[in-house]
Amino acid sequence: MKRKGVWILGVWLLTAAIACPQINAQGNKPEPPPKLRVGDVAPDFKLQYFDGSDEKEVSLSQYRGKSNVVLAFYIFAFTGG
Amino acid sequence: MKAFQQNLKTLEAADTQVLGVSMDSPFANKAFADQIGVTFPLLSDWGGDVTRQYGVYVDKYKAARRVNFLVGKDGKILEEQIDKDAIDPKKIVDACERKKVSR
Repeated sequence: MKRKGVWILGVWLLTAAIACPQINAQGNKPEPPPKLRVGDVAPDFKLQYFDGSDEKEVSLSQYRGKSNVVLAFYIFAFTGG
Repeated sequence: MKAFQQNLKTLEAADTQVLGVSMDSPFANKAFADQIGVTFPLLSDWGGDVTRQYGVYVDKYKAARRVNFLVGKDGKILEEQIDKDAIDPKKIVDACERKKVSR
């Protein structure tokens, strides 16, 4: 009886040892860094926002030569940060 | 977004426009801006074309990851902050101030 218990434990541990690194590898796979790097030209875009009464259009190129631009990408509205 | 709002005066004084970008609708973004007191534009990348173009689209979330880019007047990227590092924009605020001083 005792030996059977040890055997079951052994099989369980072996299974866990095989399965775990795979689970970890899937769960913690880091996202690759964004392909744009410091020094690259930021691609131009045209996007809209709603200012309370109208939809306004903004392009990155309208700031060229005038001001720096911070582009803050975020996951969803109503999330932290 | 709130952290940029707190630093908005400093950034504006250093000739810097702040733009938030997400894949929400313009109306959701406006409601979000009002709720957290953000006065700079939150742009809608409805469909995610710009998010993909900038390489910050995450398939798992079907949304953008948290990344800040500082783009200089010449259109080139001066600073980049990714994921957890992007929560505190100090690096970008400092870079803007340095540029202002060195001008």
